[in-house]
Amino acid sequence: MTAVAHERASKPIVKRILPPPVTGQELVLVGVIAVLWVLLGIFTPSFLSPSSIQPLLVSVAPIALIGVGMTFIIITAGIDVSVGGAIALCAVVTAKLLVNYDVPLIVAVLVSMVLGTVLGLINGTLIAYGRVHAIIITFGTANIFQFFALRVFGSSTVNGIPSTLDVFGRGESGRTLGVPHSFAITILVVLIAWWYLRNTAGGRHLFAIGGNENAARLAGVKVQPRVVFAYVATGALVGLGACFFIAAGTSTLDQGVGAGRELAVIAAVVIGGTSILGGRGSVIGTLLGAILVQTVNSGVTQLGWPSQLANLFVGIFIIIAVGTDLLRERARRSRA
Amino acid sequence: MSNTAEVVGSVPRVELSGIVKTYGGVRAIRNADLSVAPGTVHALVGENGAGKSTLIKILAGAERADAGSLQFNGEPVSITSTTDALGLGVQTVYQEPQLFPELSVAENVFVGRELRRGIRVDWAAQAEQMNSLLDTVGLDVGIATRTVGDLSIAQQQQVSIAKALAGEARVLILDEPSAILTDAEIDVLFAVIRRLTATGVSVIYISHRLDELFRIADVVTIMRDGETITTRPIGELTVREIAELMVGGVLAEPRADVEATRGDVVLQLDDMSLAGSFSEISLDVRAGEIVGLYGLIGSGAGEIASTIYGMQRPTGGRMLVRGEPVVLRRPSSAKKRGIHLLPANRSAQGSFSFQSIAFNITIGELHLLSRIKGWVQRRAERDIARNFITRLAVKTPSERQPISAMSGGNAQKVVLARQLVNRPELLVLVEPTQGVDVGAKEEIHRIIDDLASEGTAVLVVTSDLGEVLRISDRIIVIRSGEIAHEFTPDATQVEILAAAAGETHGSEEPS
Amino acid sequence: MSGLTTQTVPKVRTQNTKRSIGGRALEALLTQRVVLLAVLIVLMLILMTVLDATGALSGSYNSDYLAASLINAVPLAMLGLAQLGVILSGRGGIDLSVGSMVSVTGIAFGMSYGLWGWNLPVAMIFAIVLGGILGGVNGALVSFVGFPPLIATLATFYAYRSIALVWSGQKPVNSTEIQSFYSAAKAIELPLIGSYLPLVPLGIFTFLIPVVLVVWILLNKTTFGRRIYALGTNDTAAAWAGINVRPNRFAVYVLSGVISGLVGIVTVAQFASARPDAGTSGNGMALPAITIAVLGGVAITGGIGRVSGVVLATILIVWLNAGILLAFPGNDGVQVQLLALGLVLVFASLLNGLTKRKYGGI
Repeated sequence: MTAVAHERASKPIVKRILPPPVTGQELVLVGVIAVLWVLLGIFTPSFLSPSSIQPLLVSVAPIALIGVGMTFIIITAGIDVSVGGAIALCAVVTAKLLVNYDVPLIVAVLVSMVLGTVLGLINGTLIAYGRVHAIIITFGTANIFQFFALRVFGSSTVNGIPSTLDVFGRGESGRTLGVPHSFAITILVVLIAWWYLRNTAGGRHLFAIGGNENAARLAGVKVQPRVVFAYVATGALVGLGACFFIAAGTSTLDQGVGAGRELAVIAAVVIGGTSILGGRGSVIGTLLGAILVQTVNSGVTQLGWPSQLANLFVGIFIIIAVGTDLLRERARRSRA
Repeated sequence: MSNTAEVVGSVPRVELSGIVKTYGGVRAIRNADLSVAPGTVHALVGENGAGKSTLIKILAGAERADAGSLQFNGEPVSITSTTDALGLGVQTVYQEPQLFPELSVAENVFVGRELRRGIRVDWAAQAEQMNSLLDTVGLDVGIATRTVGDLSIAQQQQVSIAKALAGEARVLILDEPSAILTDAEIDVLFAVIRRLTATGVSVIYISHRLDELFRIADVVTIMRDGETITTRPIGELTVREIAELMVGGVLAEPRADVEATRGDVVLQLDDMSLAGSFSEISLDVRAGEIVGLYGLIGSGAGEIASTIYGMQRPTGGRMLVRGEPVVLRRPSSAKKRGIHLLPANRSAQGSFSFQSIAFNITIGELHLLSRIKGWVQRRAERDIARNFITRLAVKTPSERQPISAMSGGNAQKVVLARQLVNRPELLVLVEPTQGVDVGAKEEIHRIIDDLASEGTAVLVVTSDLGEVLRISDRIIVIRSGEIAHEFTPDATQVEILAAAAGETHGSEEPS
Repeated sequence: MSGLTTQTVPKVRTQNTKRSIGGRALEALLTQRVVLLAVLIVLMLILMTVLDATGALSGSYNSDYLAASLINAVPLAMLGLAQLGVILSGRGGIDLSVGSMVSVTGIAFGMSYGLWGWNLPVAMIFAIVLGGILGGVNGALVSFVGFPPLIATLATFYAYRSIALVWSGQKPVNSTEIQSFYSAAKAIELPLIGSYLPLVPLGIFTFLIPVVLVVWILLNKTTFGRRIYALGTNDTAAAWAGINVRPNRFAVYVLSGVISGLVGIVTVAQFASARPDAGTSGNGMALPAITIAVLGGVAITGGIGRVSGVVLATILIVWLNAGILLAFPGNDGVQVQLLALGLVLVFASLLNGLTKRKYGGI
């Protein structure tokens, strides 16, 4: 069957048949972050010191980590607004295990991840097999998760969280060679996820599902299990991210631990260039988006501006990031 | 590799015989036989509704036949699903490419059947196959990494073909592949097809453009009214003869004799053009006149209609309504001028599915629902709806029924009623009887006759030959975005079809 | 005949010619959301009354209590109606920013009425117009630029929340004028028939009922309403029918902002101060409002939904919450309310999906 090809085989064989590993939007984000860091460095000289950058990276870690899972979900044209509730539940269970039952850290972290996985499985199953819009289902489960979290809390806070969690924290014990452990783990997860999305059939199928679910089904992609996987992966990362959230705070965990986090994560993903309509996205962009958002938060405080001003910038960044994408898309369509 | 000529005429690659298919009482296929030899291009032609697409769907496993048998390479087989068909190597490239716009060309080709090394996709192996596939379909190898959304329609179609070939195609079905292509792109497509048949692939080629069959097909099977009429080597026929076979001996019902009370010119187009769709179209429509615009899929006739209605701005020429030059920015400004349009695709462009019949009838003319601006009176809505249900003989227990519960003919009458609520000066009807049963079709034609005799100027855009002859006072044939010919109603179906399908005097010899 | 196997009879759904009364009742229950909600409200009232009689409740679940609890229905139903409009308009319509708009307009009202000494009507108009402008930003992003509504309103959720907090200096705005405005929220006795009825919060009459009426009239009695249903059902067909899709879709987001402005004023009255986080504290106001809309039978895909459904869904949730507070006193009650809201939402959306598959509509 390939006779024709052989006879013209003088043409060079295509080596790499994937899009470039880093997209233009990611380079732009790197540029924006660099400019912000330089500007902040000029106006608040302390900004570029390790004592300022290290806490920044610690605060980036959980958002970017959960953002990796959210990127998977949004690539399939789904969404998960229940991660705030799920974070609260995983965090309080972990904290209680550490405080009341004295379990070793590794066990507590594993329990948190297993719990997160179960929560993700619930979401994924309802969405993939119940054929219900993801945003509605996860709005519902957000409340349910929050309920269980509050039940476990019992009182308004969990006090006296042991210092074993500091290994993920912002203190000296949370760093090796100056790099916060939580951030290092996040980078590792981002790299694995980046490789998975690029190089495995499962990863590519997530893009296919988000791009054209029906065509994906016709092409033999097992759509439902892949969708469930995206939510389950997010759940597991929520479990780990919850531990990072506890560690980034003080020895006291309060009930507001998850509040609004789902929107912060979605904001990071969207700023990172992942299309909310599905079919396109990158975890590296999400990491950069999280860094940008946390840079703004940290920068606004260090400049002595009202800290709440940061959210205004986050909103504007979302509009700029998605808006330029829309305009590019429009230009592309008018060319075709 | 070069023994294809010898294979031709021996055991057919695929043979369908005695196929029957009924949809809810309507016989889509009465009796069809199709035998395709290995390594040949087998054209399948017929008018809209002749049963071509149903037959293809049965072969592709998308539909199941009521009766009939199938042999593959001489062996009896059964196709009950698309998976069965793919397993046999029957690949279909539909008109609308089923692709993933955000993924690269290479990935589109391999999605769902990635070559793997461990859990990794084996990019190198895929690249090697890509190289030969792209070569076969005539795409530059460099295109493998491009995002499909960035490619032209023609390139996307080539990608679709590559995708079909990656799945070991032994029979490749191409459904109207040339409708959306330019002439240069068609040349590329034909080169691809020739390369494929040289390797023994059988190609089933569906097209309305009869002229191009002589350049590519070996054999042609003609369908009419759900039956395969004949199968002949293409060289034995001419465009005109194929048209005659497609139409059959049936005389088209002529337009019921008209008392031509022609009024003033309502619509006049002067050299109107729309880049990429049609160019320099000049025509006029008078009050009380029905002008038929006949064109095959991709001819540009539909775009002429939507441009008249203000869906897009023409890129050249001008348009006059009652002698006054107008520039229409949007449909609402067309409607202010008394121009109404019945869109072609009822479910996508016409009906508001889960809303009531009354809603569907009145939605275009909400200002008539009350004397107070911006207000809606239920009673006015109901009265208008009931009036049209009676006038157009819509069969429904109540005007409150959702339109989605109705048959195609009744739903079409409802969407047509919307265009009549405020009496139009010019009514543009695009494929007014598509997907409508015979009885409703005749009723709709009678409604159009009545409108014209009341003084409405009517422009009917259709690819239904019987229809254009049945209702038009004048017939304008559009081909490749230009007026190919104008006929009077006493023209024959064969003449019109031949003009639309590309009979160019004396250039019919196969290449 | 061995080859292309056969079997035919395409599955045509038998029309409802001869079906049992039970079957028809079930269809009415599933397809007429108003019927389902009314039945659920009655069932819940019976259950609560029984619990009350057996002494399982910490307080009396009577008409006075129910009437008083309706104060919670005011912002909920109003924002539910705001969501009704945007969700109806289709293309993934949703407004996550309503809570933030409530905060900003509340601060605007509090500042202008309480601190700058504007008179009441002018301050109210200021808040409402500001709400309309904020909603207009959402509408412009969605319908003229082409943002997915989820993203546009997520961005403005952040931006408006930030504006409210920065503008107010993160402190509630307070003054004697605002505190006396509190009277607008207190319960009143209706004239004439009032002595026979429980005291109903004034906010129901001053804000909720007018808004319900206006939205109902807009959606059911005006050409604008028809156009919204049309473009939510099928915006391509709407364009072919000569409807200008963009300005109409823009308008529902403005409406959402205007209603948020009114809710901003209501919350100032309720709290007797203008709080910068009035609409965004905790889970915020957007989430419950969307829940109410979905429970009320609004299809997230657009084109389907009624004012009556949203109103009944609000009453169901408000009275259910009121009952939960009696059954689970204190903090527990607030938590169980979350569970109830979540379960109801999951249940309602699964039901919507099932109904759509079974009867092809809601």
